[in-house]
Amino acid sequence: MSGSARRGGLPGASTAWTRFLEVMSGDKTSHIAIPLFSVALSMVAASLLLLALGENPLVAMAAFLRGSGFMVKPSYAGGQSALTDFLSFLGILAPMLLAALSVAAALRAGMFNIGVAGQMLAAGYVATILAGYADMAPALARPLVVLLGLSVGATMGAAVGFLKYRFNIHEVVSTIMFNYITSYVTGFLINTHYSDAITRSSRVCSRAARLTVTGIDVGGLRLTFPIGILIALAAAAIMKFVLDRTTVGFELKAVGLNRDAARYAGISVGRVTVFAMSVSGALAGLAGVTYYLGYYNNIMPKTLASLGFDAIAVALLGNLNPVGSIFSSILVTIFQKGSVYMSSTLGAPQEVASVITSVMLLFSACGACVRFHAARMLEKLAGRGGSDEGGGG
Amino acid sequence: MRQERVENDYIVEMRHITKRFGGVAANDDISIGIRRGEIFAVLGENGAGKSTLMSILFGKYEPDSGDILVRGRPAVLSSSNDAVSLNIGMVHQHFNLVPNYTVAENIILGSEPIKRVFGIFPCVDIKTAEARIAELSRAYGLEVDPSLPIAQAGVSVQQRVEILKMLCRNAEILIFDEPTAVLAPREIEFLLDIIRGLREKGHTIILITHKLEEIMRVADRCAVLRRGRLVGTLAVADTSPQELAELMVGRELPPAGKRPSAGFGDTVLEVQDLTVRDQDGLEVVKGVSFSVRRGEIFAIVGVSGSGQVEIADAIAGLARPQAGRIRLMGLDITDCGIRRRIEAGISYIPEDRQRYGVILDFTLAENLAIKSYYRPPLSKSGVLRPGRIREFADDLIERYDIRGADGAGMITRSMSGGNQQKAIIARELSRDSALIIFVQPTRGLDIGAIRSIHARIIEERDRGRAVLLVSLDLDEVMNLADTVGIVFSGRMVKISPANRLTADEVGEYMMGVRV
Repeated sequence: MSGSARRGGLPGASTAWTRFLEVMSGDKTSHIAIPLFSVALSMVAASLLLLALGENPLVAMAAFLRGSGFMVKPSYAGGQSALTDFLSFLGILAPMLLAALSVAAALRAGMFNIGVAGQMLAAGYVATILAGYADMAPALARPLVVLLGLSVGATMGAAVGFLKYRFNIHEVVSTIMFNYITSYVTGFLINTHYSDAITRSSRVCSRAARLTVTGIDVGGLRLTFPIGILIALAAAAIMKFVLDRTTVGFELKAVGLNRDAARYAGISVGRVTVFAMSVSGALAGLAGVTYYLGYYNNIMPKTLASLGFDAIAVALLGNLNPVGSIFSSILVTIFQKGSVYMSSTLGAPQEVASVITSVMLLFSACGACVRFHAARMLEKLAGRGGSDEGGGG
Repeated sequence: MRQERVENDYIVEMRHITKRFGGVAANDDISIGIRRGEIFAVLGENGAGKSTLMSILFGKYEPDSGDILVRGRPAVLSSSNDAVSLNIGMVHQHFNLVPNYTVAENIILGSEPIKRVFGIFPCVDIKTAEARIAELSRAYGLEVDPSLPIAQAGVSVQQRVEILKMLCRNAEILIFDEPTAVLAPREIEFLLDIIRGLREKGHTIILITHKLEEIMRVADRCAVLRRGRLVGTLAVADTSPQELAELMVGRELPPAGKRPSAGFGDTVLEVQDLTVRDQDGLEVVKGVSFSVRRGEIFAIVGVSGSGQVEIADAIAGLARPQAGRIRLMGLDITDCGIRRRIEAGISYIPEDRQRYGVILDFTLAENLAIKSYYRPPLSKSGVLRPGRIREFADDLIERYDIRGADGAGMITRSMSGGNQQKAIIARELSRDSALIIFVQPTRGLDIGAIRSIHARIIEERDRGRAVLLVSLDLDEVMNLADTVGIVFSGRMVKISPANRLTADEVGEYMMGVRV
């Protein structure tokens, strides 16, 4: 990893290298420097992969951006433009961000919620059945969908938290089990009751229940705006406030960092555990309704959204921070959303996007290790370099 | 240190070994020499550094400084493989055996004898291995059946399998880490016989233990460690259990500069017939009763692991008592949650400060606020007030002289152990609780920090607080305590005013020599 920079025989190079190590290992800087470093590294890795496939990496990167509506494509089908692409991008960004926040909420309290996909599906299913198939006015149906998403997700999350607190059942085990249960139960019910004869998915939910605003006319284009993105950004803002500024957030972080010390200080670890998992579940539920009643509008039976698992990577890349999660989910979604266009124009396989995402996760998961080695190399340099290295302090 | 003989007498020599963990010296300039064919015991309390010293010899840790000589030649032991290649074997306190493998399979694991079926296909030669193990077992009187699955073997058998494992790897020097801790009395007899048998067959034995009786019965010589330092190496034939106990527990300084209490007030803490079980269901505190009054320093002393920490945990609410009542100023708090107890007036300086006392990744300000963040002025209807938290922290930092580069915003992990402890003490004392529990308040700290903490403890007593002090440091206890309660294996065997007991007497009660 550090092969290129290790040559450093010149004094100038070694100072730059020291500076780099300081930034990577510093208390104040590393939480931003390390994710950026992992992103940069994964870009390099992706470029190498694209080169090996015989593609120009720059053209491919531009294709990812064009597919996500960040750059203009050379040509558009009727009624399409970069703006429609971008709104569609926001439509899938919303569940990604919410799911990442869900993972982050649980992990900040020291729990690993791998059940995001199951919680999404449960929330999406209940909202589709109760609101999506009912004959309701949009003003009633949409709030109901949001409410159902919140409450179904929160209930499932709370169940996981309760099982952990009361019976010491590890959340990874229970969430995986819940994923299967949800997938098969909803799959069975969809196949027996709500199946569409042609698509084999559930019947499409009513327009009134979808979390989108349709028919906005801008310059002759009919645009569809995803409400989900507003929900997601609001959720990120609220979560940031709760974590940084409230007593509940304080307790949640304390339990996540050191359960024993939290208990010693009088914090009710069980209550915090159940609370954090309910919040995580509620966010996953919101991700579910924006995904199944906004972006797709129907449910494929017995299929868990891979987005629910990608969210783990996104949350880690975003340093489990709500603001960081916004950036990391944008980044990852660009690659995932843009992969279709990239693949159709360049002919490179769509899976390149998955490779890029997973390399990013790999590097960001190594963050602590990178930081550790940076600190150690810095120590060694300081030991060897002696007086000529001033040190940034 | 005591090299009365020529050096080649020693099969193992450790010279000036120092090993630090964080700031604490687990081994501080220890030099020992072990003679060929003897049983050499290493005696000390838990945490005295005996396991660390032996882990260094077995290659698990590398010493910060010092040399190791094996058979007169300098040895570099950077892994247990190095130790094994020098014919050193260790029987750990916790066995490393695969439960669903047989005895023989466990023993050969990692160095399986291979035979080739039809001259081609490699295959583990279990028959030959079993025969060899059976033979070794007979020769050393170990009575182990090589084909028995470990899952069906008792603890004592498993331990003998570990011994066989070492013998199969040609270990000449055998280290036993607290081997009798897991055994029943009759099994202990058997093990001691085996150890004697090993000596007769020319092996050198190192026995890590804190049990005086075993040393007196089998060991030839004994090194005594206390708080990371070697306090002496003695020939067992020339010593007595009393002398060993004294060395192990220590009594160096006479009580100096002690200020007696001005007099005791009302009873603050009353503990009645307290019984506590550990996670394995063992009774670690057995029917303990005592009380602490205002203006009194009540010290609980005992050999490490006698139940004193569990008593403190039960009072603070961290451990659930099996039986008994705990009253704080007349109020029965036995069934109260931890926060209720804190609010009722209990401050607790815990033994393991990094596990309980602070959250290492929190800032200093957050750690100082961790017991009062939920109330005004630090928060208002669930919303924290960072300005107030900062003021609160700055005030404590100033008053208790907590030092660190960045003040209140500093990450606690980057502070020194002494300053972390100062922060905990600042937080706990600032609460003005009626009862203050100190567990090992000065462990691992330098002399300056120790003095200032001792002064604080006395100051709090003089302000009319009830102080419960749990310490393994007998000097500390004799210096500070007004009343001493001595625990031995979970029972309070003696409660007495501190000035009516000598340190020697306390040591004898602690070791169970005097009842």
